[in-house]
Amino acid sequence: MPLTDMQKIIVVTGIGVVSPYGIGMAALHAGLVAGKSCLEPAKDIYPGFEGYLAQVGELPHFAAESGRWYSRSDRLAMVAAEDAVSGFDRRQASFRDSGIVMASTVAGLSEIDPEIAESPAAWYRRGNLARASSYSVARVAASVGEHLDIRGPSCAVSVACASGAMAIALGANMLLEGAAPMVLAGGSDALCPFTLSGFNALQSLDREPCRPFDQNRKGLNLGEGAAVLVLETLAGARARGADVLAVLRGWAMTNDASHPTAPQKQGIGLSLCINRAMEMADCGIEEIGYVNAHGTGTPLNDIAEANAYESVFRGRSRPVPISSTKSYFGHCLGSAGSIEAAITISAIRSGTIYPTLRLTDPIESIAVDWVRGEVRHQPLPLAMSASVGFGGSNTVLLFGDYGSAAV
Amino acid sequence: MSKKLPTITGIGSVSPFGPLAGLIPPSILEPSPITAWTADGLRRAFLVQPFQPASIVPGLKTRRLDRLSAWALVASSLALQDAGIDLKEMDRSRVAVVFATGFGCIELTESFFQSAFANGWSGTDPITFPETLANSPTGHVALLHDLRGPNITISSNHFAGESALLQAASLLRHGQADLAIVIAGDTLTRTMYEWYETADLLSPACYDSEPLGKASGFVPSEGLVALVLEPAGDRGVRSYAHLHAGRWATGGEPQESIREMLGGAVPRLILAAGDGAPCANSAATDLARGIAGPDVAIIPAQAVALGLTDAGALLHLVLALSSRPDSGKALMLSTSGDNGIAALLLELP
Repeated sequence: MPLTDMQKIIVVTGIGVVSPYGIGMAALHAGLVAGKSCLEPAKDIYPGFEGYLAQVGELPHFAAESGRWYSRSDRLAMVAAEDAVSGFDRRQASFRDSGIVMASTVAGLSEIDPEIAESPAAWYRRGNLARASSYSVARVAASVGEHLDIRGPSCAVSVACASGAMAIALGANMLLEGAAPMVLAGGSDALCPFTLSGFNALQSLDREPCRPFDQNRKGLNLGEGAAVLVLETLAGARARGADVLAVLRGWAMTNDASHPTAPQKQGIGLSLCINRAMEMADCGIEEIGYVNAHGTGTPLNDIAEANAYESVFRGRSRPVPISSTKSYFGHCLGSAGSIEAAITISAIRSGTIYPTLRLTDPIESIAVDWVRGEVRHQPLPLAMSASVGFGGSNTVLLFGDYGSAAV
Repeated sequence: MSKKLPTITGIGSVSPFGPLAGLIPPSILEPSPITAWTADGLRRAFLVQPFQPASIVPGLKTRRLDRLSAWALVASSLALQDAGIDLKEMDRSRVAVVFATGFGCIELTESFFQSAFANGWSGTDPITFPETLANSPTGHVALLHDLRGPNITISSNHFAGESALLQAASLLRHGQADLAIVIAGDTLTRTMYEWYETADLLSPACYDSEPLGKASGFVPSEGLVALVLEPAGDRGVRSYAHLHAGRWATGGEPQESIREMLGGAVPRLILAAGDGAPCANSAATDLARGIAGPDVAIIPAQAVALGLTDAGALLHLVLALSSRPDSGKALMLSTSGDNGIAALLLELP
């Protein structure tokens, strides 16, 4: 059966966020508008580690069935999903048959101790068998399904730091396929010594609060959190009288095929990804009102990303406004793309561009207007969120204002 | 939206049957003794025997990689070779890689924990860390073949392989890629094996050298399969199977959902990809008979594919195709204990 236009238009009807600001979009928006940095010395939380990080506060306890365990990433995901569907009628079949696509890189790694290396069986017998059952990233998606009693297709995405955005792209594809009436898509990652140690070994961590896109940037800070978007076709959303928060106008996924960890220096893979997302959205470079960049603060990422923006947006009548909100609460890894998707939608809905913190001496670029200093207020009919990651992954999401979309 | 059916045109595998291009010649496979770690007595599993990746893909360097990455490189090369694809002729920014795994690069993750145990968190190895990421196999596949299209790594309880195949088909149908390499697999490590053992999930065949019977429990397995998926008829080459439709859910009404997908078609053959139970009385075969009648032909899952748990579907599919089934519509069916299903409607040429 051919898809009607309304079955091809993907809309966002729910957003749930758990960030270092707390639970919910209102707390996130308020924190960003206030310019409040959540970064704190790592040694206060993980003794022995230097640098800065941002942590989410106490999470609720969820009882797992016998032999199961919910990791911190699972619990972050469950809280974000609960927030995303607050106000939904969960008895409806369309809700119970929803799909779930959750991203994570850490998943249950946070629950495993180095002592497992000495003797796995002995470690399990010390009461850790259930903890280890949370290891697989698939458990993050399954946990959301168990918590909300959802029984549709469920999978997890793990493509390093582009995971959260890719989960949203794959969720949109599932709707185009008719695989589920709605899809809960997002990402969740907890802070843990494994990732802190890994990025520390790679010398990717800034010892001070990070400075994305600054000429003197020295690295990233890690954070944690989760975000979940409820995606539906416009036809489905209208049929159940749902409030539409934004339109997912375009999405694309590409790979650099350049280096296992470093981005391609000219940002060619990301440029291709942006162009493909704009092609799907049928929009031009003048129409993009704001870009929420990946902007980690590492020397290699930020220059490659700046080169990609320069290449795509060169020729605009005015430079494109770009900022990195990782400067507020660090890099949340597998959840970053979904949290930043939520921030991009918040920017559109409130007409607010959140500046990059601590950006004093930006990378030179004719095509880019690096947003810094004061919060800006302006209408944003269309805005973009870009995510990249180890393994050469790129994902771009283009969100539009529902009111101004030609639907 | 493309109306051409996604079609499997190439197969590559690195499995306990060895590294192979195309179908897997029928053979009786018994579990092998584990020698990679010291155990208290005999422990067996379906293992990939060591081989030199560079002997299959000349010049391939895999010394610092997780075996899962090395196998993905080998199997993807074999699948492309089997499909007769010359990537130089293709727009490689439109070639996707979709990878399904249950546990990702668990070998090097264990190594990283070992270095943390030995040296503390401040003494871990920077080279190992990025190779622990679940998507490093697909990153390496993209790098080896210069594939710049969507590069996706997913995991799904019970149905990771089926879900990867459906995600890849979706990319083709909606014009997001012209060709996809779909990969599914896992390695077996001590940490995994001892988890299964402590949870009392293993078959008695893991502990003695008797032939595999129908006792409860399972024999863990390792391996990886790569399939080339492309729109039917684009190159006029041999097809192993067309993918008509698919359904996958974690609960609900499995029979109703599959009937809706079939839209009146009655498959002549069921590829019962299994649910971990001996096939004759498994939920998958009961469900299959409920849908297609009591006399429908059923190809049961082999233990080696069941042992791959979440990522076993592609190995099961290749083994079923290797048994040279009759042409016609076939339903590949997996179930999970709580009414979960994955169902793929295939057309076998």
